[in-house]
Amino acid sequence: MLSLALKNIFRYRLRSSLTMAGVATGMFLFTTVETMQQSLARVTRSEADDTTLIVYRENRFCPSTSRLPEYYLSSIEKIEGVRRVIPIQIAVNNCGASLDVITFRGVPPENLLKYNPDLEVVDGSFKNWTSRSDAALVGQTFAQRRNLQTGDQFEAVGVNVYVAGIIKSNEAQDNNVAYVHLPFLQQASKVGLGTVTQFNVKVESAELLDAVATKIDTTFRSDSQPTVTRPEKAFFAETAKQMIELIGFTHWLGLGAVAAVLGLVANAVLLIVRGRIKETAVLQTLGFSRFRIACLITCEGLLLGLLGGAVGVVSAILFLHWQSFTLGNEGLTLAITPSITVLFNGLLVALILGFTASLYPAWRASRQPLVESLNTG
Amino acid sequence: MSGTNKSQPADPMPDSLIQIRNLTKSFTKGQSVITPLDSLSLEVSRGEFLALMGPSGSGKTTLLNLIAGIDTASSGELLVDSQNLGSLSRARLTKWRSLNVGYIFQLYHLVPILSAFENVELPLLLQPLTRSERRAQVEAALDLVGLSDRIHHRPAELSGGQEQRVAIARAIVHDPKLLVADEPTGDLDGESASSILELLRSLSRDHQKTIVMVTHDPRAAAVADRSLHLEKGQLVNTAG
Repeated sequence: MLSLALKNIFRYRLRSSLTMAGVATGMFLFTTVETMQQSLARVTRSEADDTTLIVYRENRFCPSTSRLPEYYLSSIEKIEGVRRVIPIQIAVNNCGASLDVITFRGVPPENLLKYNPDLEVVDGSFKNWTSRSDAALVGQTFAQRRNLQTGDQFEAVGVNVYVAGIIKSNEAQDNNVAYVHLPFLQQASKVGLGTVTQFNVKVESAELLDAVATKIDTTFRSDSQPTVTRPEKAFFAETAKQMIELIGFTHWLGLGAVAAVLGLVANAVLLIVRGRIKETAVLQTLGFSRFRIACLITCEGLLLGLLGGAVGVVSAILFLHWQSFTLGNEGLTLAITPSITVLFNGLLVALILGFTASLYPAWRASRQPLVESLNTG
Repeated sequence: MSGTNKSQPADPMPDSLIQIRNLTKSFTKGQSVITPLDSLSLEVSRGEFLALMGPSGSGKTTLLNLIAGIDTASSGELLVDSQNLGSLSRARLTKWRSLNVGYIFQLYHLVPILSAFENVELPLLLQPLTRSERRAQVEAALDLVGLSDRIHHRPAELSGGQEQRVAIARAIVHDPKLLVADEPTGDLDGESASSILELLRSLSRDHQKTIVMVTHDPRAAAVADRSLHLEKGQLVNTAG
């Protein structure tokens, strides 16, 4: 049955190819949207093992307006449940939603690996970075997007740096920023020494997140720079609202793409049925039951959906992988990274679409009157 | 062997495969009721080669379709190998057809994208057979119709006569008791037609297939054991 369905699809090569190209285009769009949604979900959905807090200036959302005294560090370190704290100065080229955001993170060089031991230097060296005050460790995705290599010099946001190495990390954010020395960035970005954008705080366990956050904010409530402390993913969700709304809207584009694919496959399968009325009647004469006829047509719809869908989904994943798109908002970056889940979801959706789209044509084909159909021209 | 019209059912023949009693087929078209077959009775013996003749619209193809189980009668009784076709549901009739009937069309109706082998294999896909069993049966059928050397050819690569041979192989591959042929030589040149008729003749004579053939061609009818003439849905005469 499957072999017959495959042969039938390739019988009308041009029509099938055009249908599959349409399905591929729709599924490309769907996969891109799905990848954006999942990438966003990854950075905003809280998980049980999340232990990072972000301390930010109260009522501020852009890194350029969040200014906290660096000396808060010692007070935060003393709070019970805090495992490690790192002060970070952030400089970005654009606080609004942007596809090409450039983010510098200034951190004390001696603390970077202690705070984030997952960082792996894939090119250049960490020593090279610590030994030069204007050195930057550039995230892999950032480097790929900007075509940067170790040894390059580049300038952005008024900051001129030397690329000492390329890093990669399990944290998508780290792959999209350039780490520089804190004092260097404080001076280069003109905020001045002793001022940072935020503190990233690692706590002993996830259960302590709320308690530690409350304690931090209480500590600085009466200070000149009060803080608001949130789990990292909640911070992302609240701060990058523009970007989240934008991505939320793309959900409708994804649905539109799915609807277009559904209509396309249904139309193609209906044309197949209409073009083979007599042949279907001959199969019925040979003893093919209504169910078998319906199965044959459904198989063809499934194959059209699946083959076109596979092309669209795989091309979208390869495209997004090679292009390394990054959405930025309020200094936060969202890497649009495809995953194996997106691949399977895309193929599953293509399969379901193929099946759904062929239900009515299959029903029509199986119900056509046998004798009249044999007599059609 | 007998053919009767608007008569009491004939006494069943000792070894008849098909028994038809007062069979009527009618349908409504617009305001009028059309009756292509009107209270027809007929018996066909096992292994008999019967030709149905008559002008267009006389009801011969309707009768053929009823015998083949692809159409249902409005009234009357139609038994094939003691199975009353009128009592079968659509699904069971389809199943019955897949086991007991081989249908040969005037225009062959082979699936163009399939090879001769794959076309002949189609009825066997409905049977619980292994791939090797199917292969053996298909090869035997193609051998019987003299097309062993065209097994992988597609219909477009075959002559009309060869296409009809493939269609005949498809009709006999599952070893049905009954073959029905709707003007099997209607689209063939004289030489090919003779060869197809000879093939049908040998299937009846040597393989005991019961064949009911609709034809306009008296030369084709002459090959059959018996010819019946239909006019306006009724048998008008018989000739042996």
